[in-house]
Amino acid sequence: MHKTPQVNEVNEFIEIASDFEDPLEVIREALSNSYDADATQVDINIEQDEEGRNTLVIEDDGHGMDEDDLSSFFDLGNSNKDDAIGYKGHGTKIYYKSDEIRVETVKDGTRIESVMNQPWAKLNNRELPTYSIEKTDTDEPSRTRIEVHGFRAGQGFDPQKLTYNKIEHYIKWKTIGGSTAWHFTDDFHRMDITVELSSTIDDTRDQIQTDNRLEFSPENRDPDGELVAEMMCKHYPPRELTVALDDGRELTIEVVGMVGGKEARNELPTYGKHSAQFGIWLAKDHIKVERYNDAIGADNEFFHFFFVANCQELELSANREKIRNKSGDVYQAITDELDRFMTKVCQDSWYQKYIERRKLEDKKRSIRSQESTLEERRQRTEEQGGLSPSNSAEVIAMLERYSANGAPETIKIADFQMDDEVNAILDTEGELENASLQVKLSDFFEDETPLNHIDRFVCWKLGDLDSLSQVERSPYMGKPIRFDFQENVIRYGGENPRTIPVLELAEKVS
Amino acid sequence: MVSFDVVAEAGEARRGQLQINDRTLETPHLFPVINFYGGGNEGALFGGGVHRTVKEFLAHDNEVTGGEDYSDLFHGVMTSISSLADYGIREKKLEWYLNNEIREWDCFSDYDGMIFADSGGYKILKQGGLEGKDFEKDIDQDKALDIQLALGPDIVVNLDHPIHPDDEFEERIEKMEQTAANAARFAERRDEVDGACYLTVHGYYEAMLERSFDLIEDELAEPIPEAFDGIALGSLVPRKDNVEVLVEAVSDCKREMQQRGYDELPLHVLGISGNAMPLLVAVGADTFDSASYLHQAINGKYCVNLFETVPIDEANFDSCECRVCNDDFHRARMRNEMEDLYQKDILGSVAAHNLAVQQRELRKFRQLIAEGDKERVAEYLEEAVKDQKGFRKFAYQLINERINPYFEETDTTYA
Repeated sequence: MHKTPQVNEVNEFIEIASDFEDPLEVIREALSNSYDADATQVDINIEQDEEGRNTLVIEDDGHGMDEDDLSSFFDLGNSNKDDAIGYKGHGTKIYYKSDEIRVETVKDGTRIESVMNQPWAKLNNRELPTYSIEKTDTDEPSRTRIEVHGFRAGQGFDPQKLTYNKIEHYIKWKTIGGSTAWHFTDDFHRMDITVELSSTIDDTRDQIQTDNRLEFSPENRDPDGELVAEMMCKHYPPRELTVALDDGRELTIEVVGMVGGKEARNELPTYGKHSAQFGIWLAKDHIKVERYNDAIGADNEFFHFFFVANCQELELSANREKIRNKSGDVYQAITDELDRFMTKVCQDSWYQKYIERRKLEDKKRSIRSQESTLEERRQRTEEQGGLSPSNSAEVIAMLERYSANGAPETIKIADFQMDDEVNAILDTEGELENASLQVKLSDFFEDETPLNHIDRFVCWKLGDLDSLSQVERSPYMGKPIRFDFQENVIRYGGENPRTIPVLELAEKVS
Repeated sequence: MVSFDVVAEAGEARRGQLQINDRTLETPHLFPVINFYGGGNEGALFGGGVHRTVKEFLAHDNEVTGGEDYSDLFHGVMTSISSLADYGIREKKLEWYLNNEIREWDCFSDYDGMIFADSGGYKILKQGGLEGKDFEKDIDQDKALDIQLALGPDIVVNLDHPIHPDDEFEERIEKMEQTAANAARFAERRDEVDGACYLTVHGYYEAMLERSFDLIEDELAEPIPEAFDGIALGSLVPRKDNVEVLVEAVSDCKREMQQRGYDELPLHVLGISGNAMPLLVAVGADTFDSASYLHQAINGKYCVNLFETVPIDEANFDSCECRVCNDDFHRARMRNEMEDLYQKDILGSVAAHNLAVQQRELRKFRQLIAEGDKERVAEYLEEAVKDQKGFRKFAYQLINERINPYFEETDTTYA
């Protein structure tokens, strides 16, 4: 006996329709379908009624749909488009998340009107929705109009969040409207796109008018001026990279891109933060899918780059947000070749100059900032009336000043090691002493540094006397300690304590 | 009679013929390092473990070669006087070794390749001389040359004082001055050499090399090209893994030579071989020497290509085109499938294979240069580094800057 596995059709429809996460994906699907229908013009209208219900109207002048095409439109996984963006027959199912779908389409002298009522409610009621078909003869040119009423798209279509700017950037970044195909293919056809939002959604500007060509920021290879690296931009012309697989198949990767500073990149219609947008995009149908920034290598920062590498051999998830065949040899071959290509871009002399210029400008900025800091320092020095040590080098300067100005003993620095516990060796009247030079004596004890090798302390000030007094209250590194500032000594140890002289300079140097 | 003729150029890479008396060497060429004397006696080709096996390849010992002629691997070899005392020999034996020139011994009498006798500056200066079991000899320029000449060489080089990347400036200058003084003394004895005299220069970048050349020119009584037949760039071994430094050093040395009018002299790169070789040829190096083929074998490594090695027992001999790997006799040796094999027998065949891989690459490169098409050189370099992730940026950089820019300034119009 043989049994045929069953498919729960309702669940599958819900599953696929729910797979689309960003409600703006409805725009991506509409544009892809129009492009697949060879449209040269597509108009999208989004309205919102007072109750917050969305209506989407998509109209194009493509080749329209006959009854079979319409079946594919409503069916799941039954695309009749072999070599097209929507070859899976998944995309239009996003329209099911609505109260009503109306399709009016003209193809070869026949107009079909079709309506599906309450698709989402019915699916959630475990019922497969149906659609009506009404055919009439017409002499109109081919076209398609799709109305999606009560589109349940979640927060993405919230009037607070939906703006022209957001949609325009989405179109250019995530849909066929941001295609790089025009750099490459002979069968590319241009499609003009308009998007109009009702004034209740965004009344700040006129409709979006664009087309399906992603244009890079204008080139600006060698701008004049002092701090201009962020404006620099170079285009890297389209290249077709060919890779042979072990099984003899050949892959073609079409790559085009630009490198630019932040200001140049800001001229692009990005959809998100720069760190999440730039780098190397892998694309299918010239629509960006996922980034592969490893191609840039650790020596370079990915956000300077904006490259789109298209390969039709990439396999995508239903919602086109992810690449599915990452573990296969095709993906490996694509990424290997991109690694090589991007290594070449990184060796380009313009890129090297751009990076050099950035570094140089960073240094200039740093000098400017130092200049302002310097001004503050000079002001502070004037206010405090001369040197007031804040580091060990300044303590050394004070020690030299002390010795040169009638001190009872001549102390010279014989050796200095900044980070050592004995950071200075002093030449005191010909005798070498291990010393610790401190801005404040109390700093030394806060760090719990051992006293074993220290013959003498030299400090600018004693510092926090309370904290020193606290140190005396318990053994310091296992032994009793006493600070005797009458005698200017530290007594360290039990029965026969070591005496470590302390020279405080602040009192002695004017 | 010494001459060096450039017969073809492709970009900065050049193919040449080095003629020394009646021997000719096609360049670019790799001189494998051979220890002719390894503590043993003549019957054992003077011993030396794997070194001995390599000498047996060189001297056509059929029991080791399997009857094949591998002389193409040894058209020119490098030997250093510092290796003479490597095996703790007694002074008497050293004297005995030096009694005959290498080719005067029966076992090497058929060897017709060039012998490049290095002064072994690095090792000799480090040890303070030549030290055997019962002797210590201070080595100065004269003594070094005496020993070099006793080997019957085709090429000799002055005793140099190699610099080190960590040297303080003063230390480096002192070494360069000592090298320059040695070079001057070496030039005075030029007539005693029946072959080519090479001059060592040292430096990692142009200013350093300029100083090295200047100091030598100041010491010499005549222009460099009149006293010397070739330039040997030294001190690169401590930076052998930094291909960027190697390319810069060789290319700056070439620039200095061009500016001073010695560009017609061959440029030898001391102690470097392997993966950097193609890039260094592309910027104008003519010859190399190295013992890496042997050291890799001694460490159990089998070269898959210039970049990769695998442990010997993982080697796939079928995918290698070299004659060693295509000979069942050597396959059996490398797989340790024959009876009574010593480690030196196994590793000797591996060393011969490793050397064959390096020589094969240079042979390919010579053919490419002969075509005179720099773009073919670029293609070859690209293919060679195709899967070498860390290395390829240096190759691409070199191609982009010196052969063929990847992104021409005019190449910006879109379809």
